[in-house]
Amino acid sequence: MKTTLATIFALSLALAPAALAHHSQSEYDSRKKVEVEGTVSKVEWKSPHAWIHVDVTNDKGEKVNWHFELPSPNTLMRRGWTRDSLKIGDRIKVTSSPARNFPDIGIATSIKDAQGKAFFTGVTEIYEPEAESKSAK
Amino acid sequence: MKSLLSATILLVLATPAVGRAQWLKYPTPGIPRLADGKPNLKAPPPRLPDGKPDFQGMWFANVPSRDNCRTGDCIQEERMAREQINIGTRLQGGLPYTDWSREQMKERRANGGREDPHTYCMPPNYPRAWTLPQYQRIVQTPSMMVVLHEFNDAYREIYLDGRPLPENPNPTWNGYSTGRWEGDTLVIETNGIRDDMWLDIQGSPITESARVTEKLRRINFGIMQVEITVNDPKAYTKPWTVTVEMAIQVDTQMLGEICIDNEQDVKLYKK
Repeated sequence: MKTTLATIFALSLALAPAALAHHSQSEYDSRKKVEVEGTVSKVEWKSPHAWIHVDVTNDKGEKVNWHFELPSPNTLMRRGWTRDSLKIGDRIKVTSSPARNFPDIGIATSIKDAQGKAFFTGVTEIYEPEAESKSAK
Repeated sequence: MKSLLSATILLVLATPAVGRAQWLKYPTPGIPRLADGKPNLKAPPPRLPDGKPDFQGMWFANVPSRDNCRTGDCIQEERMAREQINIGTRLQGGLPYTDWSREQMKERRANGGREDPHTYCMPPNYPRAWTLPQYQRIVQTPSMMVVLHEFNDAYREIYLDGRPLPENPNPTWNGYSTGRWEGDTLVIETNGIRDDMWLDIQGSPITESARVTEKLRRINFGIMQVEITVNDPKAYTKPWTVTVEMAIQVDTQMLGEICIDNEQDVKLYKK
Protein backbone atom coordinates (compact mmCIF):
# COMPACT_ATOMS: atom_id res chain seq x y z
CA MET A 1 0.00 0.00 0.00
CA LYS A 2 2.76 2.38 0.88
CA THR A 3 4.50 1.74 -2.41
CA THR A 4 1.31 2.42 -4.29
CA LEU A 5 0.88 5.63 -2.40
CA ALA A 6 4.45 6.63 -3.09
CA THR A 7 3.91 5.90 -6.75
CA ILE A 8 0.78 8.00 -6.83
CA PHE A 9 2.55 10.83 -5.12
CA ALA A 10 5.54 10.50 -7.44
CA LEU A 11 3.21 10.80 -10.39
CA SER A 12 1.83 14.07 -9.17
CA LEU A 13 3.06 16.93 -11.30
CA ALA A 14 3.39 20.60 -10.61
CA LEU A 15 -0.34 21.07 -10.67
CA ALA A 16 -0.96 19.43 -7.36
CA PRO A 17 -4.18 19.01 -5.38
CA ALA A 18 -6.74 21.41 -6.62
CA ALA A 19 -9.64 20.99 -4.32
CA LEU A 20 -9.44 24.28 -2.57
CA ALA A 21 -11.57 27.22 -3.37
CA HIS A 22 -9.27 29.64 -5.09
CA HIS A 23 -5.85 28.27 -5.95
CA SER A 24 -4.08 25.27 -7.39
CA GLN A 25 -2.21 24.24 -4.21
CA SER A 26 0.98 23.77 -6.20
CA GLU A 27 2.68 25.99 -3.62
CA TYR A 28 2.55 22.94 -1.36
CA ASP A 29 4.50 19.72 -1.82
CA SER A 30 1.84 17.04 -1.66
CA ARG A 31 4.51 14.31 -1.74
CA LYS A 32 5.64 15.28 1.74
CA LYS A 33 3.81 14.91 4.99
CA VAL A 34 4.74 16.73 8.15
CA GLU A 35 3.09 15.97 11.47
CA VAL A 36 3.42 18.31 14.39
CA GLU A 37 1.80 18.56 17.79
CA GLY A 38 1.26 21.82 19.56
CA THR A 39 -1.04 24.44 20.98
CA VAL A 40 -3.33 26.62 18.92
CA SER A 41 -2.07 30.21 19.18
CA LYS A 42 -4.38 31.93 16.70
CA VAL A 43 -7.35 31.12 14.48
CA GLU A 44 -8.13 33.14 11.34
CA TRP A 45 -11.70 32.37 10.34
CA LYS A 46 -11.83 34.34 7.11
CA SER A 47 -12.23 33.83 3.36
CA PRO A 48 -10.88 32.52 1.15
CA HIS A 49 -9.27 30.09 3.60
CA ALA A 50 -9.21 29.62 7.32
CA TRP A 51 -5.76 29.47 8.90
CA ILE A 52 -4.70 28.10 12.24
CA HIS A 53 -1.42 28.93 13.92
CA VAL A 54 0.12 26.43 16.28
CA ASP A 55 2.97 26.76 18.76
CA VAL A 56 5.20 23.72 18.40
CA THR A 57 8.34 22.74 20.27
CA ASN A 58 10.80 21.24 17.82
CA ASP A 59 13.44 18.53 18.37
CA LYS A 60 15.93 21.13 19.58
CA GLY A 61 13.54 22.36 22.22
CA GLU A 62 12.88 25.58 20.33
CA LYS A 63 9.40 27.05 20.09
CA VAL A 64 8.22 27.38 16.49
CA ASN A 65 4.95 28.89 15.32
CA TRP A 66 3.49 26.80 12.48
CA HIS A 67 0.84 28.14 10.11
CA PHE A 68 -1.71 25.81 8.55
CA GLU A 69 -4.11 26.53 5.74
CA LEU A 70 -7.60 25.02 5.86
CA PRO A 71 -10.52 25.12 3.42
CA SER A 72 -12.76 28.15 3.36
CA PRO A 73 -14.81 28.88 6.47
CA ASN A 74 -17.89 28.29 4.30
CA THR A 75 -16.76 24.79 3.38
CA LEU A 76 -15.89 24.05 6.99
CA MET A 77 -19.23 25.35 8.26
CA ARG A 78 -21.04 23.12 5.77
CA ARG A 79 -19.10 20.23 7.30
CA GLY A 80 -20.25 21.14 10.77
CA TRP A 81 -17.34 23.21 11.97
CA THR A 82 -17.92 26.56 13.62
CA ARG A 83 -15.57 29.47 14.16
CA ASP A 84 -15.23 28.21 17.72
CA SER A 85 -14.36 24.61 16.83
CA LEU A 86 -10.69 25.28 17.43
CA LYS A 87 -9.72 27.73 20.13
CA ILE A 88 -6.54 29.31 21.36
CA GLY A 89 -4.97 26.91 23.81
CA ASP A 90 -6.33 23.72 22.25
CA ARG A 91 -3.78 20.94 22.01
CA ILE A 92 -3.82 19.37 18.53
CA LYS A 93 -1.85 17.25 16.11
CA VAL A 94 -1.76 18.44 12.53
CA THR A 95 -0.66 16.53 9.46
CA SER A 96 0.12 18.75 6.52
CA SER A 97 1.81 19.05 3.17
CA PRO A 98 4.49 21.70 3.67
CA ALA A 99 4.93 24.82 1.56
CA ARG A 100 7.67 24.35 -1.02
CA ASN A 101 9.38 27.69 -0.46
CA PHE A 102 8.61 28.69 3.10
CA PRO A 103 9.34 27.02 6.42
CA ASP A 104 6.73 26.26 9.07
CA ILE A 105 3.79 26.61 6.70
CA GLY A 106 1.60 23.77 5.50
CA ILE A 107 -1.79 22.85 4.17
CA ALA A 108 -3.57 20.75 6.76
CA THR A 109 -4.79 17.36 5.66
CA SER A 110 -5.66 16.03 9.08
CA ILE A 111 -6.24 17.50 12.50
CA LYS A 112 -6.44 15.38 15.62
CA ASP A 113 -7.19 16.27 19.17
CA ALA A 114 -4.91 15.43 22.07
CA GLN A 115 -6.39 11.95 22.27
CA GLY A 116 -5.57 11.26 18.63
CA LYS A 117 -9.10 11.42 17.31
CA ALA A 118 -9.02 12.69 13.74
CA PHE A 119 -11.22 15.37 12.28
CA PHE A 120 -11.44 16.00 8.59
CA THR A 121 -10.35 19.28 7.15
CA GLY A 122 -12.02 18.74 3.83
CA VAL A 123 -8.76 19.01 1.95
CA THR A 124 -8.38 16.52 -0.84
CA GLU A 125 -5.15 14.69 -0.38
CA ILE A 126 -3.87 14.83 -3.91
CA TYR A 127 -4.83 15.69 -7.43
CA GLU A 128 -3.93 12.96 -9.83
CA PRO A 129 -3.38 14.62 -13.20
CA GLU A 130 -5.31 13.17 -16.04
CA ALA A 131 -2.42 11.56 -17.87
CA GLU A 132 -1.04 14.88 -19.06
CA SER A 133 -4.44 15.57 -20.59
CA LYS A 134 -4.79 13.94 -23.98
CA SER A 135 -5.25 17.33 -25.55
CA ALA A 136 -1.98 18.67 -24.25
CA LYS A 137 0.40 16.75 -26.47
CA MET B 1 -11.77 21.33 34.24
CA LYS B 2 -9.29 20.92 31.44
CA SER B 3 -10.52 17.46 30.53
CA LEU B 4 -14.10 18.73 30.63
CA LEU B 5 -13.05 21.48 28.22
CA SER B 6 -11.34 19.00 25.95
CA ALA B 7 -14.39 16.78 26.01
CA THR B 8 -16.57 19.73 25.09
CA ILE B 9 -14.30 20.69 22.22
CA LEU B 10 -14.28 17.10 21.06
CA LEU B 11 -18.04 17.02 21.09
CA VAL B 12 -18.33 20.29 19.22
CA LEU B 13 -15.86 19.11 16.59
CA ALA B 14 -17.56 15.79 16.17
CA THR B 15 -21.12 17.06 16.04
CA PRO B 16 -22.48 19.01 13.08
CA ALA B 17 -23.75 22.38 14.18
CA VAL B 18 -27.35 21.64 13.25
CA GLY B 19 -29.58 24.64 13.59
CA ARG B 20 -26.89 26.83 15.03
CA ALA B 21 -24.91 28.65 12.42
CA GLN B 22 -27.10 31.14 10.58
CA TRP B 23 -29.55 29.29 8.31
CA LEU B 24 -27.21 26.52 7.29
CA LYS B 25 -29.89 23.93 8.08
CA TYR B 26 -33.02 26.03 7.74
CA PRO B 27 -35.79 24.36 5.70
CA THR B 28 -36.45 25.88 2.28
CA PRO B 29 -40.18 26.59 1.98
CA GLY B 30 -42.27 25.70 -1.05
CA ILE B 31 -40.22 22.84 -2.46
CA PRO B 32 -41.48 19.33 -3.27
CA ARG B 33 -40.85 16.93 -0.42
CA LEU B 34 -41.22 13.24 0.22
CA ALA B 35 -43.27 11.81 3.05
CA ASP B 36 -40.21 11.77 5.29
CA GLY B 37 -39.64 15.48 4.72
CA LYS B 38 -36.63 15.11 2.48
CA PRO B 39 -36.63 17.11 -0.77
CA ASN B 40 -38.11 15.20 -3.68
CA LEU B 41 -35.24 15.55 -6.10
CA LYS B 42 -37.00 13.51 -8.76
CA ALA B 43 -40.06 15.76 -8.81
CA PRO B 44 -40.86 17.43 -12.15
CA PRO B 45 -39.12 20.71 -12.92
CA PRO B 46 -41.00 23.61 -11.36
CA ARG B 47 -42.46 26.27 -13.65
CA LEU B 48 -43.06 30.00 -13.42
CA PRO B 49 -46.62 31.35 -13.77
CA ASP B 50 -45.93 31.96 -17.49
CA GLY B 51 -45.25 28.24 -17.93
CA LYS B 52 -41.50 28.55 -18.50
CA PRO B 53 -39.20 26.26 -16.54
CA ASP B 54 -38.16 27.78 -13.23
CA PHE B 55 -34.43 27.51 -12.62
CA GLN B 56 -34.51 29.37 -9.33
CA GLY B 57 -32.64 28.01 -6.38
CA MET B 58 -29.11 27.38 -5.16
CA TRP B 59 -26.88 25.19 -7.30
CA PHE B 60 -23.56 23.39 -6.94
CA ALA B 61 -21.77 21.03 -9.32
CA ASN B 62 -23.37 17.59 -9.05
CA VAL B 63 -20.44 15.93 -7.33
CA PRO B 64 -21.02 13.41 -4.56
CA SER B 65 -19.15 13.65 -1.29
CA ARG B 66 -16.69 10.85 -0.80
CA ASP B 67 -14.20 9.84 1.81
CA ASN B 68 -10.52 9.69 1.13
CA CYS B 69 -9.01 6.97 3.25
CA ARG B 70 -5.62 6.81 1.59
CA THR B 71 -3.82 8.04 4.65
CA GLY B 72 -5.51 5.75 7.13
CA ASP B 73 -7.67 8.46 8.61
CA CYS B 74 -10.67 9.04 6.44
CA ILE B 75 -10.88 12.60 5.24
CA GLN B 76 -14.02 13.80 3.56
CA GLU B 77 -12.91 15.21 0.26
CA GLU B 78 -13.98 18.62 -0.79
CA ARG B 79 -16.52 18.38 -3.57
CA MET B 80 -15.33 19.76 -6.86
CA ALA B 81 -16.29 19.44 -10.50
CA ARG B 82 -13.70 17.65 -12.61
CA GLU B 83 -14.04 20.47 -15.08
CA GLN B 84 -12.60 22.85 -12.51
CA ILE B 85 -9.14 21.54 -13.35
CA ASN B 86 -9.58 20.86 -17.06
CA ILE B 87 -12.85 22.08 -18.52
CA GLY B 88 -12.44 19.67 -21.44
CA THR B 89 -11.77 16.65 -19.25
CA ARG B 90 -14.73 14.68 -20.64
CA LEU B 91 -14.11 15.66 -24.26
CA GLN B 92 -12.88 12.91 -26.54
CA GLY B 93 -9.39 14.09 -27.50
CA GLY B 94 -9.57 17.05 -25.15
CA LEU B 95 -9.96 20.71 -26.02
CA PRO B 96 -9.04 21.64 -29.61
CA TYR B 97 -6.36 24.15 -28.64
CA THR B 98 -4.74 26.35 -31.24
CA ASP B 99 -0.93 26.38 -31.11
CA TRP B 100 -1.03 29.65 -29.16
CA SER B 101 -3.55 28.52 -26.56
CA ARG B 102 -1.89 25.12 -26.12
CA GLU B 103 1.40 26.83 -25.32
CA GLN B 104 -0.38 29.15 -22.91
CA MET B 105 -2.05 26.27 -21.13
CA LYS B 106 1.09 24.12 -20.95
CA GLU B 107 3.17 26.94 -19.52
CA ARG B 108 0.51 27.81 -16.98
CA ARG B 109 0.15 24.20 -15.95
CA ALA B 110 3.92 23.79 -15.67
CA ASN B 111 3.88 26.81 -13.35
CA GLY B 112 1.35 25.12 -11.14
CA GLY B 113 -1.41 27.53 -12.04
CA ARG B 114 0.20 30.27 -9.99
CA GLU B 115 -0.84 33.06 -12.37
CA ASP B 116 -4.49 32.04 -12.23
CA PRO B 117 -6.59 35.23 -11.88
CA HIS B 118 -8.79 33.25 -9.51
CA THR B 119 -5.84 32.83 -7.15
CA TYR B 120 -5.53 36.61 -7.11
CA CYS B 121 -9.18 36.88 -6.06
CA MET B 122 -10.38 38.18 -9.40
CA PRO B 123 -14.11 37.78 -10.10
CA PRO B 124 -15.63 34.41 -10.98
CA ASN B 125 -15.98 34.43 -14.76
CA TYR B 126 -18.52 32.42 -16.69
CA PRO B 127 -18.56 29.80 -18.05
CA ARG B 128 -15.77 28.79 -15.64
CA ALA B 129 -17.83 29.98 -12.68
CA TRP B 130 -20.23 27.03 -13.08
CA THR B 131 -17.38 24.72 -12.05
CA LEU B 132 -16.11 26.58 -8.99
CA PRO B 133 -16.67 25.12 -5.52
CA GLN B 134 -19.07 27.76 -4.28
CA TYR B 135 -22.85 27.92 -4.35
CA GLN B 136 -24.71 29.92 -6.98
CA ARG B 137 -28.25 31.18 -6.78
CA ILE B 138 -30.47 31.76 -9.80
CA VAL B 139 -33.13 34.45 -9.54
CA GLN B 140 -35.49 34.51 -12.50
CA THR B 141 -38.23 36.75 -13.86
CA PRO B 142 -39.79 36.62 -17.33
CA SER B 143 -37.42 39.35 -18.54
CA MET B 144 -34.25 38.71 -16.55
CA MET B 145 -32.19 35.94 -15.01
CA VAL B 146 -29.61 36.83 -12.38
CA VAL B 147 -26.99 34.38 -11.17
CA LEU B 148 -25.50 35.20 -7.80
CA HIS B 149 -22.16 33.60 -6.98
CA GLU B 150 -20.76 33.18 -3.49
CA PHE B 151 -17.22 33.86 -4.65
CA ASN B 152 -16.65 37.59 -4.14
CA ASP B 153 -20.43 38.00 -3.75
CA ALA B 154 -20.60 38.30 -7.53
CA TYR B 155 -23.55 38.56 -9.90
CA ARG B 156 -24.28 37.95 -13.57
CA GLU B 157 -27.20 39.32 -15.57
CA ILE B 158 -28.87 37.46 -18.43
CA TYR B 159 -31.44 39.54 -20.33
CA LEU B 160 -34.52 37.64 -21.47
CA ASP B 161 -36.31 40.66 -22.99
CA GLY B 162 -35.35 40.01 -26.59
CA ARG B 163 -32.57 42.57 -26.89
CA PRO B 164 -29.71 41.78 -29.27
CA LEU B 165 -26.15 41.20 -28.12
CA PRO B 166 -24.13 44.43 -28.13
CA GLU B 167 -21.81 45.18 -31.01
CA ASN B 168 -18.17 45.77 -30.14
CA PRO B 169 -18.88 46.06 -26.40
CA ASN B 170 -16.41 47.02 -23.72
CA PRO B 171 -15.09 43.61 -22.59
CA THR B 172 -15.96 42.49 -19.07
CA TRP B 173 -15.34 39.47 -16.85
CA ASN B 174 -18.68 37.88 -17.71
CA GLY B 175 -19.37 39.58 -21.00
CA TYR B 176 -22.92 40.40 -22.08
CA SER B 177 -25.61 37.74 -22.03
CA THR B 178 -29.05 37.38 -23.56
CA GLY B 179 -31.34 34.37 -23.32
CA ARG B 180 -34.15 32.95 -25.46
CA TRP B 181 -36.38 29.92 -25.07
CA GLU B 182 -36.22 26.88 -27.31
CA GLY B 183 -39.04 24.82 -25.83
CA ASP B 184 -38.04 24.17 -22.22
CA THR B 185 -34.38 24.98 -22.88
CA LEU B 186 -33.03 28.42 -22.07
CA VAL B 187 -30.40 29.30 -24.67
CA ILE B 188 -27.98 31.95 -23.42
CA GLU B 189 -25.63 33.74 -25.82
CA THR B 190 -22.66 35.73 -24.54
CA ASN B 191 -20.08 38.00 -26.13
CA GLY B 192 -17.82 40.79 -24.88
CA ILE B 193 -15.66 38.58 -22.64
CA ARG B 194 -12.31 40.00 -21.54
CA ASP B 195 -9.30 38.81 -23.44
CA ASP B 196 -7.31 35.83 -22.22
CA MET B 197 -9.36 34.74 -19.25
CA TRP B 198 -8.85 31.31 -17.71
CA LEU B 199 -11.43 28.55 -18.10
CA ASP B 200 -9.88 26.14 -15.61
CA ILE B 201 -7.03 25.72 -13.15
CA GLN B 202 -4.67 24.41 -15.80
CA GLY B 203 -5.10 27.67 -17.68
CA SER B 204 -7.14 26.91 -20.80
CA PRO B 205 -7.74 30.36 -22.28
CA ILE B 206 -10.83 32.10 -23.52
CA THR B 207 -10.40 35.33 -25.46
CA GLU B 208 -12.17 38.46 -26.57
CA SER B 209 -13.08 36.70 -29.81
CA ALA B 210 -15.22 34.15 -27.98
CA ARG B 211 -18.92 33.62 -28.41
CA VAL B 212 -20.34 31.36 -25.72
CA THR B 213 -23.65 29.52 -25.85
CA GLU B 214 -25.07 27.97 -22.70
CA LYS B 215 -28.14 25.76 -22.83
CA LEU B 216 -29.89 25.37 -19.48
CA ARG B 217 -32.19 22.41 -19.01
CA ARG B 218 -33.87 21.55 -15.74
CA ILE B 219 -34.09 17.79 -15.87
CA ASN B 220 -36.09 17.51 -12.68
CA PHE B 221 -36.31 19.35 -9.38
CA GLY B 222 -32.85 18.19 -8.36
CA ILE B 223 -30.78 18.50 -11.52
CA MET B 224 -29.96 21.23 -14.02
CA GLN B 225 -27.76 20.62 -17.03
CA VAL B 226 -25.61 23.43 -18.35
CA GLU B 227 -24.44 22.67 -21.87
CA ILE B 228 -21.58 25.03 -22.70
CA THR B 229 -20.40 25.68 -26.25
CA VAL B 230 -17.33 27.86 -26.74
CA ASN B 231 -16.67 29.26 -30.18
CA ASP B 232 -13.36 31.08 -29.87
CA PRO B 233 -11.31 30.98 -33.09
CA LYS B 234 -8.28 32.58 -31.44
CA ALA B 235 -7.99 29.92 -28.75
CA TYR B 236 -9.61 26.83 -30.34
CA THR B 237 -9.50 25.35 -33.81
CA LYS B 238 -13.22 24.56 -33.70
CA PRO B 239 -16.19 25.11 -31.38
CA TRP B 240 -16.42 22.62 -28.53
CA THR B 241 -19.20 21.65 -26.16
CA VAL B 242 -19.14 20.31 -22.61
CA THR B 243 -21.96 19.73 -20.16
CA VAL B 244 -21.73 20.51 -16.47
CA GLU B 245 -24.42 19.01 -14.29
CA MET B 246 -25.59 21.06 -11.34
CA ALA B 247 -27.42 19.80 -8.25
CA ILE B 248 -30.00 21.81 -6.33
CA GLN B 249 -28.99 22.84 -2.81
CA VAL B 250 -31.88 23.19 -0.39
CA ASP B 251 -32.45 23.70 3.33
CA THR B 252 -29.39 25.93 3.55
CA GLN B 253 -28.22 29.37 2.50
CA MET B 254 -25.67 31.26 0.43
CA LEU B 255 -22.55 32.22 2.36
CA GLY B 256 -20.61 35.20 1.12
CA GLU B 257 -16.94 34.69 0.39
CA ILE B 258 -14.89 37.83 -0.18
CA CYS B 259 -11.63 36.39 -1.36
CA ILE B 260 -9.40 39.39 -0.77
CA ASP B 261 -10.42 39.43 2.89
CA ASN B 262 -7.61 37.08 3.93
CA GLU B 263 -5.82 35.98 0.76
CA GLN B 264 -2.46 34.52 1.79
CA ASP B 265 -1.57 32.07 -0.97
CA VAL B 266 -0.13 34.40 -3.59
CA LYS B 267 2.95 35.06 -1.50
CA LEU B 268 3.50 31.33 -1.04
CA TYR B 269 4.01 30.89 -4.77
CA LYS B 270 7.01 33.21 -4.59
CA LYS B 271 10.44 32.28 -3.41
